[in-house]
Amino acid sequence: MDVAFIMSLQNHDGGWPYQKGGGSATEPTVLALLVQSAGSGDPQSTERGVAWLRATQRQDGGWPPRPQVSESTWVTALVALVPREAMGLSHHAKAIDWLMGQTGRESSLAYRLRNKLLGDDGGVVGKHTGWPFFPGAAAWVTPTAISILALEKAQRYQMAGEIPHRIEMGRQFLMDRICKDGGWNYGRPDVLGVDADSYPETTGQALLALHGVPSSKLEKPLAAAREQARRCQSVEGLSWLQLGLQAHGIAVEDPPRVFPCRHVADTSLRILARAAMGGRNPFLESA
Amino acid sequence: MKHEITRRQALAASAGCLALTRCSLVGGRQPLPRVSIVRAGYTQAIYDTVRRMLVEHRVDVRGKRVVIKPNLVEFDPGTTINTHPMLVHAALEGFRALGAADVRIAEGPGHRRITMDLADAAGYFQTIPHFEDLFVDLNLDDVSHVALRDPFSRLKSVYFPNTALSADLLVSLPKMKTHHWVGATLSMKNFFGLVPGSVYGWPKNVLHWAGIDECIADLHAAFPRHFAIVDGIVGMEGNGPIQGNPKPVGVLVAGKDMTAVDATCCRIMKINPAAIGYLRLAAGPRRLGEGNILQIGEPIQRVQAPFALIEPWQNIRA
Repeated sequence: MDVAFIMSLQNHDGGWPYQKGGGSATEPTVLALLVQSAGSGDPQSTERGVAWLRATQRQDGGWPPRPQVSESTWVTALVALVPREAMGLSHHAKAIDWLMGQTGRESSLAYRLRNKLLGDDGGVVGKHTGWPFFPGAAAWVTPTAISILALEKAQRYQMAGEIPHRIEMGRQFLMDRICKDGGWNYGRPDVLGVDADSYPETTGQALLALHGVPSSKLEKPLAAAREQARRCQSVEGLSWLQLGLQAHGIAVEDPPRVFPCRHVADTSLRILARAAMGGRNPFLESA
Repeated sequence: MKHEITRRQALAASAGCLALTRCSLVGGRQPLPRVSIVRAGYTQAIYDTVRRMLVEHRVDVRGKRVVIKPNLVEFDPGTTINTHPMLVHAALEGFRALGAADVRIAEGPGHRRITMDLADAAGYFQTIPHFEDLFVDLNLDDVSHVALRDPFSRLKSVYFPNTALSADLLVSLPKMKTHHWVGATLSMKNFFGLVPGSVYGWPKNVLHWAGIDECIADLHAAFPRHFAIVDGIVGMEGNGPIQGNPKPVGVLVAGKDMTAVDATCCRIMKINPAAIGYLRLAAGPRRLGEGNILQIGEPIQRVQAPFALIEPWQNIRA
């Protein structure tokens, strides 16, 4: 599966579906556009995709996961990864503003006060501010990692304000959520005191967002990611691991067994991981 | 394959079903819900066992669209997290034999987005011929907006996958497990997997903030055309639903009334069903009474196997 496969799934409205025959959705559309920005894209297809994104931006500056959903969510961070020259400066700036207004509910003053009154120090919960998938819910690894990447791109143009602080808080959030085995799962290192296992896909995402952090501070996560890559049975998991490790200068070759790509997202990630190993990582390149 | 329905159709169907459910709850005396307990193992005999259970419950699916919802969460070869693929295949074949026009398998895991890879690791591809053609990832499915009528939770509406909304019969096929947040996870809690990750994320944390027990009761009310077969052949005890230990019980538990099925499962697990918050909400303590459920097949006492409970849930022991 390759770029041609991705192009073939573009809907008439310009967006991409998660799966063949489905309605256009924001996440696969962004991933398909990132694939095109990594090389060998078709300008007309890109323009139609970007136009679909522009048209689906909500009044509040964020994006819904699908046009049928009347709420802006974490996918706004993904859209902010699309080169801003292509998206349009005002569309991009509004997305960043929306993103800066989002925090996990557990880091709210009300929630922390409630915990304090109940005598619960909350552990790592609420200590540092991350991003939720859906407004009003807690922060988790995936939306926090993607939001950090989006803000890093944005801060090359918008140094003012809280952006560097939010990036730092987000990175601390990720460091707080490392599982005992060294990787990351969705964001709970333990459940009721029992250690939880990490996942390849979230470990790769977190390492990608922590690029630039000295490897001496990430020895265990990097070792865990290498081990996960050796055992990984999922193309999506392996692709995120390759993207994350490559961001720390570690190349991971594809395993002998070829894992099937099944939809736009995992096919796009496969292509993006290969592009990163070839020196082009659209998650890290300037917007 | 996708089931295309319009938003208007989805809303109309859901509203009608919700109204019917509420009427049946507040209406006059209803016949007792029937729940069957049948001894079973993960052997070829399970195909005949499941088919007989469906006949026994007079499940009429002729010409209908059936969606089977197993419990596919994560994969750990050291324990028994997921519904066994043989049971899923047996249900698929059973509904086909009864004349269903279309039978799909659908799930939307709560923590992982690599659904097909989980299914592969859990043995679904190996056990179920053409699994990939039959399966719908509910996390990625197209969605419609559904208003909840008189919700128990703080949610006023939920986006649901069109595949679930368009089903004539939604079949919950969970694993019999303890659960660290709600005590026990059975056929009703299994409907958490109907909530699409592409909208709410991984995990579907919005449901937790809205009240887990309340959301389970709301999901149960939102999908009233249902049937349940609980995989209690080997369940999970202790720190379920993921980190617990295998618990062999050797039974399947089935019925059309999910509150009655789950209450019966609780009794098999030596858990007081009235101590489970979502069961109290959905059925009320009176309807959960053993005398209000028509048990068929094996008597509960003969198959009862106390499930180990973690410390915060010791008070639900029957």
